[in-house]
Amino acid sequence: MYLPDFDYIAAATVVKASRLLGSLGPEAKLIAGGTDVLPMLKQGTLATKTLISINRLSELKNISFEKGKGHIIGALATHNEVMKSPVLQEKYMSVCETAHRMANNQIRNIGTIGGNISNAVPSADFPPILIALGATVTLQNSSGSRTLPLEGFFMGPRQSVIAQDEILTEIVIPENGFSGSTYHKFGLRRSGALAVVGVAVAVAMEGNICKDACIVLGAVAPTPMRAKEAEALLRGKEVSDALLEKAGKLAAAASNPITDIRGSEEYRRDMVRVFTRRCLRKAMDNGHV
Amino acid sequence: MMEGKFSVIGKSKPRIDGRVKVTGQAKYTGDLKLSNMLVGKILTSPHAHAMILKIDTTEAQRQPGVKAVITHEDVPDLKYGISPARWDENIFCIDKVRFVGDKVAAVAAIDEETVYKALALIKVDYELLPAVFDPIEALQEGAPLVHEQCPGNVNTEIHQNFGDVEKAFAEAYYVRTDTFVGQRTYQCPIEPHSAISVWEGGKLTVYSSTQSPHYFQYYIARQFGLKMGDVRVIKPHMGGGFGGKLEPTGLEFAGAALAMRTGRPVKMFYDRHEMFAHNRGRHKQIMKVTTGVDKHGKILGVHADFIMDGGAYTSLGVATAYYAGAMLPLTYEYENYKFDMIRAYTNLPACGAQRGHGHPQPRYAYECHLDMLAKDLGMDPLELRLINTRKPNTVTPNDFRVNSCELEACLKKAKEISGWEEKRKNLSSGKGIGLAVGSFVTGAGYPIYRTDLPQAAAMIKVNEDGTSATLYTGAVDIGQGSDTILCQMAAEAMGFTYEQMKIVSADTETTPHDFGAYASRQTLMSGAAVKQAGEEVKQQVIEMASMMLQTDYRDLECREGVIWRKTDPSVTITYAAVARDFFVRKGPLVGKGSYTPPKLGGTFKGAPVGTSPAYSFCAQISQVDIDEETGEIKVEHVWDVHDCGTVINPALLHGQVHGALFMGMGEAVWEEVVFDDKGKILNANLGEYRLPTALDMPNITSELVFSPEPEPAGPWGVKEVGEGSTIPTMGCYSNAIYDAMGVRVYSLPLSYEKVWRALKEKREHEQQK
Ligand SMILES: Cc1cc2nc3c(=O)[nH]c(=O)nc-3n(C[C@H](O)[C@H](O)[C@H](O)COP(=O)(O)OP(=O)(O)OC[C@H]3O[C@@H](n4cnc5c(N)ncnc54)[C@H](O)[C@@H]3O)c2cc1C
Repeated sequence: MYLPDFDYIAAATVVKASRLLGSLGPEAKLIAGGTDVLPMLKQGTLATKTLISINRLSELKNISFEKGKGHIIGALATHNEVMKSPVLQEKYMSVCETAHRMANNQIRNIGTIGGNISNAVPSADFPPILIALGATVTLQNSSGSRTLPLEGFFMGPRQSVIAQDEILTEIVIPENGFSGSTYHKFGLRRSGALAVVGVAVAVAMEGNICKDACIVLGAVAPTPMRAKEAEALLRGKEVSDALLEKAGKLAAAASNPITDIRGSEEYRRDMVRVFTRRCLRKAMDNGHV
Repeated sequence: MMEGKFSVIGKSKPRIDGRVKVTGQAKYTGDLKLSNMLVGKILTSPHAHAMILKIDTTEAQRQPGVKAVITHEDVPDLKYGISPARWDENIFCIDKVRFVGDKVAAVAAIDEETVYKALALIKVDYELLPAVFDPIEALQEGAPLVHEQCPGNVNTEIHQNFGDVEKAFAEAYYVRTDTFVGQRTYQCPIEPHSAISVWEGGKLTVYSSTQSPHYFQYYIARQFGLKMGDVRVIKPHMGGGFGGKLEPTGLEFAGAALAMRTGRPVKMFYDRHEMFAHNRGRHKQIMKVTTGVDKHGKILGVHADFIMDGGAYTSLGVATAYYAGAMLPLTYEYENYKFDMIRAYTNLPACGAQRGHGHPQPRYAYECHLDMLAKDLGMDPLELRLINTRKPNTVTPNDFRVNSCELEACLKKAKEISGWEEKRKNLSSGKGIGLAVGSFVTGAGYPIYRTDLPQAAAMIKVNEDGTSATLYTGAVDIGQGSDTILCQMAAEAMGFTYEQMKIVSADTETTPHDFGAYASRQTLMSGAAVKQAGEEVKQQVIEMASMMLQTDYRDLECREGVIWRKTDPSVTITYAAVARDFFVRKGPLVGKGSYTPPKLGGTFKGAPVGTSPAYSFCAQISQVDIDEETGEIKVEHVWDVHDCGTVINPALLHGQVHGALFMGMGEAVWEEVVFDDKGKILNANLGEYRLPTALDMPNITSELVFSPEPEPAGPWGVKEVGEGSTIPTMGCYSNAIYDAMGVRVYSLPLSYEKVWRALKEKREHEQQK
């Protein structure tokens, strides 16, 4: 396998990158860490004439907290930067842990959170936990920007609402009332495995009453999906093991997995049940972990 | 115990190549750059089975930078292979392709980029043929024929019958049959295959990442009609082989042809994907085993009835097929044994030898089967094994002579250090403990092709000023550390110091003959030659010293570079001084040695396969923790107890145990080469072909037992360890899973999903009751 020929342009600003994407059209492709783009080029599953790199735009690496807005993560933050961010560690260890369990150290050093989202792969690890926490994404082009909930971003495998000339610049986890959250990637070995099933939950607890819950499933549908029946079941209820098991069953029923070399539909569905229940218990008992 | 007896062996000396490897100075074949060197690659078939109608290379030839494009028309059409009985491969396919990845043409160009572009410009017209991917289907009537001259797709058929199994079963108190399925796995050496061919002045030199320069030299010479003396194969530093680099890879044939045509050195290599396609990994086997026992659990007879998926070519598969059954009777004593095997051709990549050659899967089947037998009999599985364990100085029903054998001691020690009895009773829910044993050859008794060459030869030259000595050996260090331990053995035999040893190895021109790194042979076989060479040097040194010191040679002792008088140890002289004087007066101080095993084995068909001068034995116990909802397997601890004879380098030995266990573990739970319905590999990468990671590894306790009488066949009593520890692992885990959850998975790998499914079925079954 060998990389095909392509032109490479390192854009100096987001606006310039957007203009290039707009003028070159679909034969141009944005590249951030390249951990997805380069393998696809090698395998011949992606054809592109020009790669436009945004790697020099260090302003997109910012991770911070702004009162009134929430936690801001620049699209170019690498998995390791997310994992090691003191700002995130203080509040959302669940997001840091998600980063920690991705890929391997080499990939975590170059792969970006923006690339992980924009890629729109069903098994990607960041989207479920970010959606569960109500995150928004900001998309910018040469004429302006728009901000929308991440939940509405995905359209299908490798398909999203992002336009050809748009660049994802930042992800914001708004201030919210969740008391706990967690993500579990169920992979087929302890490191370096993609999700067979991913379950993220965010919960707002008052004593043993679940005031609110958000459950997001990865790798079991064409896009990350909310398990809304399970969420509704939990809202306002006193928590018990039986209730969580029931929530797990509802989530499993709502999921829509396929059979592939990593797992059968049946197995995936049952794992949704198991990990929904376990994740709920973990977030309810331990906070953002 | 060893302290007093030996000066150099038995110690964890640092690896002789450790420093160059950690600093990155060590050069692997892929690192080498020769001036004017071209890059070559092979074009492979995208179809599993198709006629080649036409190959058009015009456009590829025209591509700037392309120096040669070759097809079957440009190379000898002599069939080759590594099993002489079934030479069935051509350098390039002539009339049809037989698997996705079969070799069709090759290009040499000025750089990698140009090569890939040229490959894409070669046009091949194919006419698709129906293909067969399953060994049982391949054996059915009317199945597509992979090789026209081979009716029924039967590549190898074995029927061996020792004693009277039918009678044994008829007289048995209890007979049980089980069927298990093993999977295709791939060796995945970290270093990809590569070869650089240089054709200069009528001589071909090939630098290759190979486990056996000798076999490569033999096959390359034969293929191109050259004298072996005009072919030189050199193995640079190497990053693993595990069986997959023992036979010609195709790179050296294509590379040689391209080098001859262009007059320039040509570097050929496989990328990770192509390594999987070339394959030669572990066969898939369907294994039916039947055992009859008396009422005490004593085994009366065993029948092993196997079918193997060989893929499109023979590779080393004839040997694999024989090995599958040959090594089963090594561990337990019984007289009646029947072994039936068919190795079928299919339109998948060829399978070959992988660590433990043929044996790990049958051992998995048999050790699971024995545990189930024990359960039926209401016996502790360890006790059942102890009743049947092979004893030293016995002969197997298939005529293998076993000298030293401490399997019983292995079992007892494993039982003790693992806390077997306590854990069998009291492990918390979800946890289980399992046992399996294994045994392996210490070198194959006979070479792969028929020849009377010795197995190994060695030469030691003490360098002229006497301060260092160089060992010349054809033995092949593929990462396992043979360069290190052979230098330790040389120094021990010479009475010299390891630190002053240098080595030149695995070069068919400068080093004496050796068959290479396979069948766990080098410590014993290459070691025997090295020991003899060392002793020859020592004798000359002592004779010289006796002259210099005016002392009877019988009164002199020599160790670690010093010679002294036994009756008056204050009289000493250094090795360096003696050696230097020797050179001045007599010329080079050289010792040589060679090793040929005694005649081994019986006379029946296939009798040589499985013979060996000595056998290692081992018992493994593992403790697992199963997530009963997900089927996830966490291996918490493994206790490995080996009878591998005298230890040359403990650190390297335990490293082999850990590495072998790592591979066994991967095959037990995670690894499998998966194909789509067109015969294309779906996971030809290290992301989806899941080798275990550091985080998946259990705690390991690696212990040894020693026989009171050292193994007589090996130098200083050495035996193998490199492959033995891979063998019990799969059965060991399966038995631990059964102990934990009461479910049996009948096929490898014991994946999370299979365990989950078995648990689910068990629950459903219990609910129905
Ligand atoms: C060995 C290996 C292991 C992996 N393991 C995991 C894993 O465990 N979990 C997981 O989720 N993923 C995994 N991945 C996938 C990949 O590494 C991640 O998805 C990574 O986050 C992608 O980021 P990147 O910056 O490398 O993206 P790139 O490859 O640069 O880009 C990916 C896609 O996103 C687009 N893009 C990138 N940045 C932006 C932006 N700011 N705005 C708009 N579009 C953009 C690109 O055009 C491209 O289509 C793995 C990959 C490899 C090679």
